[in-house]
Amino acid sequence: MAKQKSKMICPKCGEEMNHHADKLVHPVTAEDAKDVNATLGGLIEETHCCPGCGAVESRRAE
Amino acid sequence: MNDRPLNIPVILGTTRKGRMSAHAARFMAAQIARREGIVSELIDIGDIPMPIDDAGEGIKDPAFSEKMIRADALVIITPEYNHSFPGLLKHILDSCLKEYIHKAAGIVGVSAGPFGGVRAIQDFLPVIRELGLVNIFWDVNFGNVSKVFDESGKLLDEAFVSRADKFLNELVWMAKTLRYGRDNIALDS
Repeated sequence: MAKQKSKMICPKCGEEMNHHADKLVHPVTAEDAKDVNATLGGLIEETHCCPGCGAVESRRAE
Repeated sequence: MNDRPLNIPVILGTTRKGRMSAHAARFMAAQIARREGIVSELIDIGDIPMPIDDAGEGIKDPAFSEKMIRADALVIITPEYNHSFPGLLKHILDSCLKEYIHKAAGIVGVSAGPFGGVRAIQDFLPVIRELGLVNIFWDVNFGNVSKVFDESGKLLDEAFVSRADKFLNELVWMAKTLRYGRDNIALDS
């Protein structure tokens, strides 16, 4: 699993979000290609859900 | 568990003129509307701005994205065109990603011939999986669709009420379960 970062805070209601998924994505730009995790073969995009309002956010894992 | 009503939109996945899939979409939306605790709306992909000079998240429509964020499950109505699902349906679905992850999907196939879109559905499943959606194991297959609905959209075969009911039972269960997981179960727990 990707290295943990701080909890995301829901931009809509301020509640702490739940990190429930990591998706392996393949780089589509040269910029992204520089950050590829060679072991996993791509980049990890984290998905977070807000238990309060259902909002969804994502961010690139470190 | 939070008490937000489940949100299950129906996506009409074709823009073709004279599409019989519109009858199937309205029928499925009506079946959802009979259930308490669920909000729904019919999303016609023909109403979504659809640039063709870019693809993927580059053509994301904010209104469609917001609807997908609110959704707990999707009912996707797909006709079968040349043994597969419509390219424009994929063009629209590809415009989002985080919005779908760990949400339920159920596919409704429509065809003029007897097979009810089964080949389109089989083609569709790997796409659904890659989008992060979780497909249920019930489908609804409207084969020979011109005999299932009349020209006004009136249902002519009541068996589809029971079939839609079983499909929705499974979809609602999956939607509730996945929402609980999204809200409460961390990836590393």
